[in-house]
Amino acid sequence: MMWKYIRRYLPYAILAAAFMVGEVSMDLIQPGIMSQIVDDGVLGLNTGGTGNLDLIWRLGLQMICLVLFGGLCGSLNNVFVHMSGQNIGNDMRKDCFRKIMTFSFPQIDRFGTGSLVTRMTNDITQVQNFISQFVRGMIRTTVLTFGSIYCMFRLSRVFGYVVLCVFPLIILVMAVCMKKSSSLFTKLQTQLDTVNSIMQEDVAGIRVIKACVRELYEKLRFGKANNELIQTQLRVLIIFAFMNPIVNALMYLAVAAILLVGNITVRAGGATPGNVMAAITYTTQLLNGLLMLVMLFQNITRGIASWKRVRVLLDSTPELADGEQAGETALRGSVEFQDVSFAYPDGQTVLEHIDLKLEPGETLALMGETGCGKTSLVSLIPRFYDVTGGAVLVDGVNVKEYRQTALRDKIAVALQKSELFSASVAENIAWGDPEAGEAAIRAAATVAQADSFIAQMPEGYQTLVAERGMSLSGGQKQRVSIARAVVKNAEILIFDDSTSALDLKTEADLYAALREANPHSTKIIVAQRIASARQADRIAVLENGHIIACGPHEELLASCPTYQAIYQSQMGEEDDHHE
Amino acid sequence: MNEPKDQKLASRNMPGMNRPDRFAEVQHAEHLGATLKRIFAYFARERAMVIGMLAVVIFGTLCSVYAPSLQSRAIDTIAGVRTGNLLGIVLLMLGVYLLHSLCQLLQGVVSARLSQRVVKHMREELFAKLVDLPVRYLDTHSHGDVVSRMTNDIENLSTTVSQSLPSLFSGVLTIIGTVAIMLWYCWQLALLSYATVLLTLLATKFLSGRVRKFSRKRQQLLGQLNGTVEEMVSGYRTVVAYNRQAQTTEDFCQTADSLTKVGIKTDIFSGVMGPVMNCIGNIGFVIIAAFGGYFSIHGLISVGVISAFIVYAKQFSRPINELAQVYGQLQTAIAGAERVFTVLDEADEDKAGEALQDNEQKTVTFQNVNFSYEPGHPVIRDFSLTVPSGKKVALVGATGSGKTTIVNLLMRFYDIESGTIRINGQDISQVSRDDLRKNMAIVLQDTVLFSDTLRQNMKYGNEAATDEEITAAMKMSRCDDLPRRLPQGWESVLVNSGENISQGQRQLLAIARAFVADPKILILDEATSNVDTRTEKAIQDAMQRVMQDRTSIVIAHRLSTIRDSDIIVVMDHGQIVESGNHDQLLAQRGKYYELYQTQYAGFAT
Repeated sequence: MMWKYIRRYLPYAILAAAFMVGEVSMDLIQPGIMSQIVDDGVLGLNTGGTGNLDLIWRLGLQMICLVLFGGLCGSLNNVFVHMSGQNIGNDMRKDCFRKIMTFSFPQIDRFGTGSLVTRMTNDITQVQNFISQFVRGMIRTTVLTFGSIYCMFRLSRVFGYVVLCVFPLIILVMAVCMKKSSSLFTKLQTQLDTVNSIMQEDVAGIRVIKACVRELYEKLRFGKANNELIQTQLRVLIIFAFMNPIVNALMYLAVAAILLVGNITVRAGGATPGNVMAAITYTTQLLNGLLMLVMLFQNITRGIASWKRVRVLLDSTPELADGEQAGETALRGSVEFQDVSFAYPDGQTVLEHIDLKLEPGETLALMGETGCGKTSLVSLIPRFYDVTGGAVLVDGVNVKEYRQTALRDKIAVALQKSELFSASVAENIAWGDPEAGEAAIRAAATVAQADSFIAQMPEGYQTLVAERGMSLSGGQKQRVSIARAVVKNAEILIFDDSTSALDLKTEADLYAALREANPHSTKIIVAQRIASARQADRIAVLENGHIIACGPHEELLASCPTYQAIYQSQMGEEDDHHE
Repeated sequence: MNEPKDQKLASRNMPGMNRPDRFAEVQHAEHLGATLKRIFAYFARERAMVIGMLAVVIFGTLCSVYAPSLQSRAIDTIAGVRTGNLLGIVLLMLGVYLLHSLCQLLQGVVSARLSQRVVKHMREELFAKLVDLPVRYLDTHSHGDVVSRMTNDIENLSTTVSQSLPSLFSGVLTIIGTVAIMLWYCWQLALLSYATVLLTLLATKFLSGRVRKFSRKRQQLLGQLNGTVEEMVSGYRTVVAYNRQAQTTEDFCQTADSLTKVGIKTDIFSGVMGPVMNCIGNIGFVIIAAFGGYFSIHGLISVGVISAFIVYAKQFSRPINELAQVYGQLQTAIAGAERVFTVLDEADEDKAGEALQDNEQKTVTFQNVNFSYEPGHPVIRDFSLTVPSGKKVALVGATGSGKTTIVNLLMRFYDIESGTIRINGQDISQVSRDDLRKNMAIVLQDTVLFSDTLRQNMKYGNEAATDEEITAAMKMSRCDDLPRRLPQGWESVLVNSGENISQGQRQLLAIARAFVADPKILILDEATSNVDTRTEKAIQDAMQRVMQDRTSIVIAHRLSTIRDSDIIVVMDHGQIVESGNHDQLLAQRGKYYELYQTQYAGFAT
């Protein structure tokens, strides 16, 4: 899976690796040359004890060239590492986004909005860093580690053995520390989440805290969570405080051993003083390589965890299969529920055996208690969710047989929680119809009773909607989102409690304007207020997932006890006397 | 205004694991001196630890300066240019090195403890402050900003001070030590080795300017990208409903591509620092090898000294490398500390005052009250109202007419500018806030539940409440089936501020919580706006019983909610326009009548 992405930028990665090998090789050659400078240049071991200045300069020059070449390799490696890492990350990010855009709502619900956002942002960045560090760090450490060991063996077998003795010990120390800390990291994350959520909810709920005089309680609650977090954090830090010094100590042990063994070897003629010096330099290089490995390891574990989370996203397949129907139908605007049952994926049954048919141009209002399934019912029409039993027909065709885009082109939805985007008001409205000109947008806004307040804003229709509409009031947001639905000029209009924040006068004006502007559209209005519903041709009353009554206002008022109860709760008793 | 968003992202990092990158934007404190002094004060509390740590650092540095000279002697002995007991020298060297490691270990442990203690104290202090501050503070400051101070700024400060400071301290000591000893061994070679320092400084200066330019751009694009993701995912319903997937994806890809371009540039410039440093280090190595060899032939130094120089050169280039970095980090940390201190310096809510007179009667009187959130923009104007004990008063009016402000004033979340508010004739500005609030319960439109067990949430307003009392209250607010529906019943933890229960249920719980509190005065601010009218009616019937002898103030959008109130007050622009009961107001044919007509237009057939 990862390979798919790497493959595209493989040349970059290979070049990066090659340059890295070049850089490290230069690092490895230098101590050898230095050993030569000491032995032949200074001590003159091969020329009977007289130093050779020419040789020193020559070797020095040679070293400078190698160093500069090494630096060049390093820089080029850096360039290619980032070109591969960033591009791979970018491809992944784009693929993830494309994937999310094919998801069904149950899929989105399962992941959760927050989790999807973290996966797209944080996790992919981690993966990207992981790739870059892997290409750079892993190759560097591996070549440096094994190169150093190899070079030491070349200097003298005994030096090699000394390092081979210490090497496993160092690895062991690191492994123990990593293992101990990794379980703590998970704990740390949960505790951190707890502390953060207490902070956030207390900041948001300060009025309730103060009203209940619970300041002290909150301080204690926070103190406890904070304390737990700090304890874990301390344990992690202390584990790492032990690691470096112990690894260092082991290395110093190796240096001491090399000096002692080196002395014997030099006396026996198996090595030169320069060799001893070079061996010590290699040991330090080796150690640096290993310490870098620890840092890498941390990032790698984090990177792998992130990759797993990203992978789940990339691996998931769109759940909704597209149908063949491209949208041409004889009927325009009919909706039919045939024995529809629906349950959310978690098993919670919401609707049972719903039978309902809407003729083109009809207006239907849906009423019922909170949580009785009104929103679920209308969500089935644009196939936000699939029915678990029965069928939903739009214009006489099962919604599953449509191409999803074709189906949704027929329908315009305005939601209770109006979702606006960071763009200008005009652009937000034009989501309904990208071709819509200024006049069309204005007309739609007028129908939605939004024109007057939009025109009063400093930049009119070009005013930017900041932070998902934070700059607008609830009622204003709802009206913009209604304008967006109106401009779409769809066969079927669904208002899912989308006028709840409007006062009744505005709402009444809006519905009147709408009747005039879109007389042929079928309209489905989910409402809480009788006043919003009573103008509809028919009103369907939902209770416990069933339609218990469906008919015009007067009829329901006469025959449906539930409707009467709703009516009374909104009207009060004395109005009955008027009737 | 982009800042909070970026900081929110940063707060996702693990505390203590923040690794500020070398070229991170440096922030500057405004009052450096004063801030430093206060930071010192925090660490002065842990005096023993700080002194211990510094002692360990000094000793460790001495070891690290001394050990290479022993190594040099050993090499000389091996090379035969010096006689001596090699085993003794090596053992001494090993001993010194091991002591150095031990010092490192101690330093690590002590600095971890020190930093965590300071974080703990500071965070608790800041949290306590936030809870004690007047509501005005949180009303006027971005919540994201406040939370980021609690996490990032404090974390940053303590890690920097406890971890970078020792490295700064030992760094400076190491530099002084190694420079001195290098000069002592051979000043010519020493001076030549210092050339690398110049190279390091030049390279850093050259690169950092470029990196900063690109990383600023990158940060901005990243914010944009994350914003798009967040927006499109949370608004997915709308994206799908309008078939905008393709367009949205295209926009996203464009941003992603430009981010990648800038990202590559930033990373190339910042990443090249590593190889360049490595290269400079190697140049130093060559200088020492070549010139060391040259000097050695001329008898100025021995071979062992070359070996020692190699170690020393490494030792002193490392801290120089770090210094530039630590300096920037320190400045950013101090700027963060300054922000924390600004919050700590805000004045607490004044809790002093007399007790509220104990009296079954609770008559609330507003007399000529004036109030404004911002000077010059009056919100409440000459407001006078008497709420007789045990009566229900409703506040009606358009958004912005000042209804909620009245609640803010009565709870003393804000203090009035002029006039008086009295309870049974006692001026509430003389009553202690705690005592005042204990006598009242409020239910707000934005329901607040805490990530605690259901029982704890219910007992929030009245710790002494028994399970029976809670059940009774929940029965009244029609949510007594909830403990049975939740997996762990009463002990179920309401996750994420109660997101595992529906919005309507949350509101019912909040109402039940107010019932449990059993207050003398009950305030409902749009408390039933998310509940359907039938449920609301049922709750109201229950409330009728609960509130029989209690004073209550109700704010509602729906007139059906408040029509049976004893007094209905119609507000406009902070003033009372009319008041009376439902029938009186209807008869007056004024503003209330108008409102009523629009809400029930066409009903009375």
